[in-house]
Amino acid sequence: MNTEAILKASKLRLEFGGITVLFQISMEVEREEILAIIGPNGAGKTSLLNCINGFYRPQQGDIFFKGINITELSPHKIAKLGVSRTFQNIELYSGLSTLDNLMAARHIHMRRGFLSACLFFGPSQNEEINNRKLVEELIDFLEITSVRHKIVDTLPYGVKKRVELGRALAAEPSMLILDEPTAGMNVEEKEDMARFILDIFELKRIPIVIVEHDMDIVMDICDRIVVLDFGVKIAEGSPTEIKDNPKVITAYLGADEGELD
Amino acid sequence: MEDLTLPKLLRKNVENYGEKRIAERVKKFGIWQSYTWKECYERVKYLCLGLVSLGLRRGDNVSILGENKPEWIWAELAVQAAGGVAVGIFTDCTATEVKYFLEHSDSKFIVVDDQEQVDKLLQIKEELPLLKKVIYWDPKGMWGYDYQLLKSLEQVMQLGVAYENANPQFFDLSIDKGRGRDIAIICYTSGTTGNPKGAMLRHKALISNALVWAEIDEWNNMDQYVSFVPPAWITEQALGITGHLLSGIQVNFPEDTETVQENIREIGPHVIFLGPRLWENIVRTIQAKIFDTTVIWRSLYRLFLPIGKRRAKSRFAKKRAGYLWNFLYLIADWVIFRPLKDQVGLLRIRCGYTAGSAVSPEIFYYFHAIGVNIKQLYGGSEAGLVTLHRNEEIKSETSGQVMSNVEVQISDEGEIMVKGPNIFSGYYKDPESFSEKVQNGWYKTGDFGYLNEEKHLVVIDRMDDLRRLKGGQKFSPQYNEVRLRFCPYIRDAFVVGREYEDYVVAIINIDLENVGRWAESKRIPYTTFSGLSQKVEVLELIKNYICKVNETLPEWMQVKRFVNLHKEFDPDESELTRTRKLRRVFVEEKYEDLLNALYSEQEKFSVDETITYRDGKRSRFKTTIRIVGL
Repeated sequence: MNTEAILKASKLRLEFGGITVLFQISMEVEREEILAIIGPNGAGKTSLLNCINGFYRPQQGDIFFKGINITELSPHKIAKLGVSRTFQNIELYSGLSTLDNLMAARHIHMRRGFLSACLFFGPSQNEEINNRKLVEELIDFLEITSVRHKIVDTLPYGVKKRVELGRALAAEPSMLILDEPTAGMNVEEKEDMARFILDIFELKRIPIVIVEHDMDIVMDICDRIVVLDFGVKIAEGSPTEIKDNPKVITAYLGADEGELD
Repeated sequence: MEDLTLPKLLRKNVENYGEKRIAERVKKFGIWQSYTWKECYERVKYLCLGLVSLGLRRGDNVSILGENKPEWIWAELAVQAAGGVAVGIFTDCTATEVKYFLEHSDSKFIVVDDQEQVDKLLQIKEELPLLKKVIYWDPKGMWGYDYQLLKSLEQVMQLGVAYENANPQFFDLSIDKGRGRDIAIICYTSGTTGNPKGAMLRHKALISNALVWAEIDEWNNMDQYVSFVPPAWITEQALGITGHLLSGIQVNFPEDTETVQENIREIGPHVIFLGPRLWENIVRTIQAKIFDTTVIWRSLYRLFLPIGKRRAKSRFAKKRAGYLWNFLYLIADWVIFRPLKDQVGLLRIRCGYTAGSAVSPEIFYYFHAIGVNIKQLYGGSEAGLVTLHRNEEIKSETSGQVMSNVEVQISDEGEIMVKGPNIFSGYYKDPESFSEKVQNGWYKTGDFGYLNEEKHLVVIDRMDDLRRLKGGQKFSPQYNEVRLRFCPYIRDAFVVGREYEDYVVAIINIDLENVGRWAESKRIPYTTFSGLSQKVEVLELIKNYICKVNETLPEWMQVKRFVNLHKEFDPDESELTRTRKLRRVFVEEKYEDLLNALYSEQEKFSVDETITYRDGKRSRFKTTIRIVGL
């Protein structure tokens, strides 16, 4: 198996006007790992994700995904290459049902043309059946069977988050990016989400990149952590290394190194 | 007949229906997947042979722990076909409870549902030396599990295929060896005191039970049934499994516990068993939907509902409604009741069962008004099905008439005793309890009740929860309270009877919201809860309702005097538990003076007490409350 990192970002620099959001960021995502990106508010975590999936174009630096330079590619092309993500503030088709939201994510795998789809019978029907099968398996996996035909706008927040995760998975990604998957959830919902993330990793064996504020979850489920502060990478390593890193403690607590411990 | 067993019934169904008829259906991946009798039989066969090749022998016990799924039925029949006994365990049991059941039942194997249950077993596996294999049917979430103890249902069936090649006759012979007197299942009963006891039931007890039931309610192979009563419970064993095999009822399994109502709508069952709470839920759903619908539908509903009620009333009274009413009902049915029932999936219901006599008469009445035939039954793990409402004999306050194969006797103490082929044949490893409970073939149910003039059984309460009156008569405070609480104007009721007094009295809590609304509509002014509760009109309202309840009760159980309490029972004052159950001993002590007044000739009682508010402040409260005699 190819052991080279699946994603490589080198020396990224992103500026909005005079503000530098990301500065000299280099990072790699291995083929089989759960990587967390953490940092205080405004550290540039979401901006980094937005660079990876093509919403932002960094002024400097390159991003390679599976050896392809994706720095200049548009979001839908990057998605087609196998990068799926969820958002901090849920971005679903709020007027569609759970099922339709998940089916919509399958479009990148649909091969049949417009005419064939109009006729429906034959290859188009088969394609639809196969896609539906895959989506139904995901619905079962994420335990959202009871809301299959509900309009997502009417669903509770925690369930919407799960639907969004389902949509990201429906694209059959080779890398999954989750932006604050447990934000605004209660303890029980957080535990469920953590379990789903671990299950996905176990089942699909794809790298998962998460941005997360809940340190308990990060420490429990992640293999490696990257810490950002004011657009600069200040640390990288295993959860135990990060926990004791004085720079990280300073960034989070704003205290002098000497005052701690 | 004598030697029929459940696996023999399965074999007969395969001969009769084969691939032509559906046996079971389960919703999976959003689609109803069906299994014909042939497919069902094949699975049972390979599962059985697989278990045998893993070491299952005749007379061994196998536990089953899982949600309602076809796999439950297959596993049970496979075990029985091999001459074993199936032990049902409820899915919400903790690991410690599961350990108790497995240990006590000496189970060699356990067939479980999913990861949740497997995890429980992995926790306790070291302490169960007898357990040979844990067989699961839903592999989700266990991709990384690597334990010697685990096997999937698929793997076991593959072993079965190999076993059949070596012993082609084995399965048929093994079924042939089964006898009606063999133990089929062990049902653990939730003992109120001590550990649960395992009631053993023979094949012939299960079959004789279902045979009579099927005849009364004319179950047939066109009937649809939605299964979600726990299969570890005798009701599901009698209806969903024995009834399924005996009458060919098609059993449908919901996709998920949360999708039950939706799935009922999709199936449109003919036969169903729902707990009292679920029946109430359906009424509430209908009322909410009516409230949200257009003015036209709403007015039609209001116009036609009284016609339905009128017809239900004459049906309960066993009178003819008359041509005009029947004609009007026909219109009402097509215009409003049928579409309404269709919306909640009850359009085709022929028998809707409930047990526990906790469905309020209003709800009972309502369902019969819209044409849903709901019936009460009474039975248990040990006694089987004892009574059932016959279609032409529906009475909301009774549990129905005694089944034709059962005898019922009321002991001198008023305990219900049952005799017949239905009853269990012993507690597993506990012959002492059995000889205590069963004497000369009569099983003592531990329930208190009586047979009324029309030979309907009325079940009052557990014997242990009864209180005595001066004359020695027994009565059940809870039975009274449940019935009083059916009234929308009564929030809580505390019913008391004393050993040295002749009659029963009650302290009532009015329902502020409903009584308040009623008072507004009658233009009765009030300011506070205590003020409203003491209004003459309100006392009259409550009095009328109590009179109505009294009519359904024997003389000595009737409430003779009551008060409307000036305040609500409150968990903050320890009168109720946090789950709103009365703390009887505490309340009885606290209101001793008031109760003494109720038992005297007094017509008024002055309250003078200190009230503690939530913030800890105290204040003195004085008022007078009226005592009402009936």
